[in-house]
Amino acid sequence: MSQVNAREYWTDMNRAEQGVATFMAVTIGGLLVAMLAGGLDPTYFLFLFGLGGMFALMSLGLNAQWGFTGLINFSVAAFFGLGAYGAALMTATNSPVAGGFDPIFGLVLGLVLAAVFAVAIGIPTLRLRADYLAIATLGLAEVIRTVILNERDLTAGSQGLRGIPGFFENWPVLSTFPEAMPGLRIEIIPGQPVVLELSFWEQLLNVSLLLVFLGVSFFVLRRAHRSPWGRVLRTIRSDEDLAKTLGKNTYWYKMQAFVLGSLVMALAGVFFAHLNLFVDPSNLDPITTFYVWVAVMLGGAGSNRGALFGGFVVVAIREGPRFINELPPAPVRNVLEGIINVIPSVTVEIPSIVLDAGPLRLLLIGLTIILVMRYRPQGVLPPQRELIWPDAIDDDEKARPEMGVREAKTGEIDD
Amino acid sequence: MAVTEQFLELAANGLVYSSIIILGSIGLSLIYSIAGFANFAHGDTMTVGAYATLIAFGAVGGAGFSILGLPLGFFVALVIGIVVTAAVALVTERLVYKPLDIGSIGLLITSIGVAFIYRALIQVQFSSDSRRFDIDRLRPIEPLVEYGIRITKHDIAIVISAVTLVVGLHVLLQHTDLGRKMRATADNPDLARASGIRIRRVELWTWVLGAGLAGAGGAFLGLFNLLAPRMGFSELLVIFAAVILGGIGSVYGAMLGGLLIGMIVSMTPLLSTVGIPIGGEYAAALAFIVMVLVLLVRPEGIAGEPVGGG
Repeated sequence: MSQVNAREYWTDMNRAEQGVATFMAVTIGGLLVAMLAGGLDPTYFLFLFGLGGMFALMSLGLNAQWGFTGLINFSVAAFFGLGAYGAALMTATNSPVAGGFDPIFGLVLGLVLAAVFAVAIGIPTLRLRADYLAIATLGLAEVIRTVILNERDLTAGSQGLRGIPGFFENWPVLSTFPEAMPGLRIEIIPGQPVVLELSFWEQLLNVSLLLVFLGVSFFVLRRAHRSPWGRVLRTIRSDEDLAKTLGKNTYWYKMQAFVLGSLVMALAGVFFAHLNLFVDPSNLDPITTFYVWVAVMLGGAGSNRGALFGGFVVVAIREGPRFINELPPAPVRNVLEGIINVIPSVTVEIPSIVLDAGPLRLLLIGLTIILVMRYRPQGVLPPQRELIWPDAIDDDEKARPEMGVREAKTGEIDD
Repeated sequence: MAVTEQFLELAANGLVYSSIIILGSIGLSLIYSIAGFANFAHGDTMTVGAYATLIAFGAVGGAGFSILGLPLGFFVALVIGIVVTAAVALVTERLVYKPLDIGSIGLLITSIGVAFIYRALIQVQFSSDSRRFDIDRLRPIEPLVEYGIRITKHDIAIVISAVTLVVGLHVLLQHTDLGRKMRATADNPDLARASGIRIRRVELWTWVLGAGLAGAGGAFLGLFNLLAPRMGFSELLVIFAAVILGGIGSVYGAMLGGLLIGMIVSMTPLLSTVGIPIGGEYAAALAFIVMVLVLLVRPEGIAGEPVGGG
């Protein structure tokens, strides 16, 4: 894209979009600077990026269910876990069923498990009223977690599955890629070198797998959302009776959206198994479900871009508290005390609360939910022009958007 | 005979557990029908009650004579705990739910945030380790052990207190002005408003009663098991199961549902004794499956029936 286009693109965005773009640029820039200055381990940076992408992937999946169709699915963690367990059961060294297979079979098993369970959960619950659906899916997710925890002959129970190989283990070039890459040593600030070695290249490989998953899911879902099929889903979301009146089998459409979303969540699980190399029942804890919900609500229901953004913010909420163990954080407090104590004969100690990462994380996630619902229930990046096929407005029709709308509507009647 | 003995033991335990679940489910059902949303913070409201009672008991101390193995101080602390929980619920309602204008699903999601904040604050103060009330553990009552029943005086105290609270609520609902207004509002808010009932006041009372009962339930749960920041959230789905089985909005349905679900959860170990290969670890899972079945077959619950309703 040329520079002129980039500027046009910028002025074309609304304020929220500009804000998010600036925020992302500053955050990523800051992390890059910290990394090059030696303050942040590049391998860890990639790991965080991988986690962010993983949550973004789950958010995309949930967005297909809640954002497109209005299904309240509180079993995200279960589908994530099914994907992870599918991958792990096929590849782990201590798998009670079938260890040691190529990870590609794990991917297949993960997706198959997710699809089967999505249908099994969907059949009874998708006819239910919205709030009953929420409670029922949360309950059934707990049933799945309990089964995985207790059926030791199938899943190794609370011990978990270990010895999961990297995803590209048996691939021709990629399997030896980390070993083949030279250890790089970059020294920008003297005395604080940044070393890129084996673990960095392994992590880079993981992240590229994630980017493939993320890219494929994003484009499939975006295409689906704009297709006639996606328009039926949006009709169901806003008025299910209307969709029925139009002769649509809403139950069947809801089932398709539910399975599609669950498959994307399972994809995140498969990635996690190969990132973490260890899977246990705690990965199915319902808290994961709520993290993903926060990501989707923050991004804006129905917005795929928003889901990507939300996924990364949630990882900041999840991983940030590791670095803050008191409030206000020690550096902030030192600076403040320094300023106040400039006046001689006055010494003020700012009281601080010592916090563990666990409660701080819960507190932040809780506050985020409440603040978003209160001040921006539509999310930060709500879908724009969602009923309009992009060609209809992005070209010379821009000056007359009504034209584009009409065209899109004609298209809708046709199918 | 072994089966009978196990049955008696589980039934006795189930009665205690059910009383706790009933206290939780009445509040959840009341709030569901009058405030109009599924309150996912209700489990953590129970946790608040448990910890409030713990703090109050620490301050009041175990002085005074004791009833059923519990010092008088515990009952004083329990009352303080109930009041504190009701106050916390009122403040939450005022600060969080009241200003929102987002429909019942939005409120449901918000209540998850509230649940996390309650739990986070408790965890900041008390860490995630479990605690217990500073009361000596009792041995099971001797004459009953013969029949295989192992319950303590504390368990009996829990059941009696729960029954007292439930009867109190029944009297309130049936024989006071507030009770009639609450029933009218739950039944048809618009009609109630048109008849001159101040809905807002009824709503606030609903939160007070619902949270108060939940607080008591939480304190008893802490006495029955242990106190831990996750204790309430872990029971939330069981309580939902009870409310749905009983029929949302029906207080008497919630009582019946609580009793049934509590019994199902407690009796699950019996299944493997009689040859059905479902172990005790699936107790809660079984309750959730019952819940989904009820939603499918009879979403209005037991008390939805015109004859059995309250």
